Amino acid sequence: MSMPNIYKTLGTSVLMAGMAFGSSVAMAADGPLRGNVRVVIGSTSTGGDTYQNSNIVVDALAEHLDLNMKVDAVGATAAFRALDRDARGNTLMIFHDQSYLGHLYGVEGYDNIFEKYTIGPTVAINPGNAYLVPKDSPYENLNQIIEAVGNGETVRVAIQPGGVSEIGFSALKNAISIEHPGMEDNLVAVNTGSQADKNQQLFDGQADLINGTVQANEQYTRLPEDDQKAMRFVWLTARNSTIQQAPEDGLGKTSREELLEFVEPNVNVTMGDENFTFDKEFFFLYNKDMDPAIVDQIDDALTEIYAEGDIQDVQKNSFFIPNFKPSDEAAEYLENKRAVYEDIITNIQ
Amino acid sequence: MLDILSLLDITFFLLAALGALVGIIFGAIPGMTATMAVAVCLPLTYALGLHHGLALLLGLYVGGISGGMVPAVLLNIPGTPSSITTTFDGYPMAQKGEGERALRVCVVASVVGGLISAIVLFLFAPILAEFSIKFSYVEKFLIILLALTVIASMSSNMLVGIFSGVLGIWLSLIGTYSISDGGNGKTRLMFDFLEPYLFEGFSLLPVLIGIFGIATILLEAEKGVKSGLSGKTINIGKGGGFSFSLFKGRATNLVRSSFIGTFVGMLPGVGGSAASVLAYTQEKNLSRDSSEMGKGAPQGLIASESANNALTGGALIPLLSLGIPGDSTTAVLIGAFTLQGIQVGPLFIPENADTWYVMMTALVFANIVMFFLMFYAIKHIAKVVLVPKYILYPLIVMMCVVGAYAINYGIMFDVWTLLIFGVLGYLIQKVGLEVAPLIIGFILGSQAEVYFVKSLESFGTFAIFFTKSPIAMVLWGLIAASVAFSVVMGLKSRARRRGEES
Repeated sequence: MSMPNIYKTLGTSVLMAGMAFGSSVAMAADGPLRGNVRVVIGSTSTGGDTYQNSNIVVDALAEHLDLNMKVDAVGATAAFRALDRDARGNTLMIFHDQSYLGHLYGVEGYDNIFEKYTIGPTVAINPGNAYLVPKDSPYENLNQIIEAVGNGETVRVAIQPGGVSEIGFSALKNAISIEHPGMEDNLVAVNTGSQADKNQQLFDGQADLINGTVQANEQYTRLPEDDQKAMRFVWLTARNSTIQQAPEDGLGKTSREELLEFVEPNVNVTMGDENFTFDKEFFFLYNKDMDPAIVDQIDDALTEIYAEGDIQDVQKNSFFIPNFKPSDEAAEYLENKRAVYEDIITNIQ
Repeated sequence: MLDILSLLDITFFLLAALGALVGIIFGAIPGMTATMAVAVCLPLTYALGLHHGLALLLGLYVGGISGGMVPAVLLNIPGTPSSITTTFDGYPMAQKGEGERALRVCVVASVVGGLISAIVLFLFAPILAEFSIKFSYVEKFLIILLALTVIASMSSNMLVGIFSGVLGIWLSLIGTYSISDGGNGKTRLMFDFLEPYLFEGFSLLPVLIGIFGIATILLEAEKGVKSGLSGKTINIGKGGGFSFSLFKGRATNLVRSSFIGTFVGMLPGVGGSAASVLAYTQEKNLSRDSSEMGKGAPQGLIASESANNALTGGALIPLLSLGIPGDSTTAVLIGAFTLQGIQVGPLFIPENADTWYVMMTALVFANIVMFFLMFYAIKHIAKVVLVPKYILYPLIVMMCVVGAYAINYGIMFDVWTLLIFGVLGYLIQKVGLEVAPLIIGFILGSQAEVYFVKSLESFGTFAIFFTKSPIAMVLWGLIAASVAFSVVMGLKSRARRRGEES
């Protein structure tokens, strides 16, 4: 190949790479939010609920505002850092209750979001946070597990420590300490990582109960009992009223009716005066110094999007419960929510 | 059946082919990986629909894994982490002027690996998934340990090699034992002021590109760029000296490495790099004559490339029959299903037969396209080395920097990592340490830690490593054999050297 040909080949390659990456810069006609907007999320997984839900919301928002917006699955620490760096509003964040639970559990890399950031609107709930046992487990339901632990049996629970996966475990421990004081240490956490690890602990017989989700574990609950991988739901942490809003067909082949068997009043985890519930909620987080006009702009845009009503269908089809609250309302609501869980975590320490 | 045929339109095949092509480009650029290619194109599945989207993504996956061989062979930079063992023999061959031949061997090995794993996936996915859940933390730790034993057999001086490997493991432990892996999330092995940068440790890819790419360029720079053309010794005859007879007597290696790749791919959390490392070790231990491996032997390329392409089919096994991704790319790929609201789990294949057949078609087709694209493009690609070094090297440095900056979506410290490890890579070669064991230690170290600690946490006794299961005992047998082999080989080569000296 002669030299000019090499340059031609190189040039073509560069051009192709450019085409692969290239994106046009869209400029909104009006409004304080301009240019390209990057929405970082607190999870590194593109197969998870945060990515899925953020994409639904960000797509709708991008179209409504006529902006170029993209969701980046960078993970919690990197997302907070990216948000810290950008006060212009070109970096926004979407995350869920993990953002303050991580701080309550003292996980490094988590600060008090209510002080450090501006809380944006809530957009949806994932009602799928669940606890499961092997299909041939001696425990029929969660009440039997609470009783067994109260009677001195050790029950091992596989969780991912420091957040959403742990909060149900903490609540369960708290309930046992209320109903069977002094026996709560018989409920033992098995700290693991991903959902795969938690499932594996159940297959290996190293855990009696695991944290999971309706989405990831529903198919396992439909396996025959003699299958080593077969599981059963015993508890969904969501509120009864949340599951009531799910599509009637539920998820996979498990209907809404069947899912309702695993929430209050059929399953009760006491906090003393009332029962513990946990809805995993997704919301925006903004840089504290970002122009308040952008906060309003996004609030207004989402208000209009939710008023049109299409987004709710998309969310429900993906087993999310639409739950839009504008920024101010969301901040107050989430702070109250945090206070409840703070009590539980302090009680069991 | 007709339903499925109606899904396979011309667009479907064009997308799979386009995916393979773009994937190869991503894989060939140092710092860009198959995972990034899939991640960048993931949102397109919205517009394309599930089946067309999958065709594109699987094309990208196959292409991305394969493309890594190009810089590995020609520039000594693994384009993707799983092509690290390709550099061991590929670059020496390129230096001998056999770059084109090396690449052709790689392409043939890749397509065979890819197709064997696709067949295994198609026929045995559910059964193998059943088998893969027999691997608990203990067995996974032993697999990693087995891969680590390669350190002993590939070093020219065993003690120095082991020391380098341990150094690599030590470097991999900098950062935190992540809370998302069930650790405590506390930083360690660093000064306090480094915490903001090193919280998650050094990123794998900048380390790889630095220690291979930048260090190679530094070593070349030291020599001075006198000859404008580096490629005048390159053999640009017809076919570059390649013929299929190179594979004569290598069928066992090819098939064994493909199976190792498929097998490692299906173990969630063990990861791509372990596959090619393990296949490379086994070839080194089991082949009748492995003395040339590491100095430019095609058999090393065959082992490495067939294993890393076999990974594709392997990693899809747990994804499609357990809902658990087998490697980092399939972890992104799962997003295509989530975005379309489709559950992947143990009932995915029976409940989504159409999608399953469509995926298999795309996977096989992408492998074939990859083969033809690369096999015939190689004679042009190989001429990269004809570009004068004073033009080529600055371009490579630029691509390395861009790649390092982009890998975690714009972290400047990753660029510093690239530089630090580039200089480190240069220095350790100067003081006589060995790069390959160090990097293998670095890649496998953190996983070894997680599985080791988790095994002890779960079972509470060291004895469990020996008594857990028959699988564990077999793995110990393999580890013992691998170590014994390295020692014998080491003693033999020392005796030979002494013989030569006297």
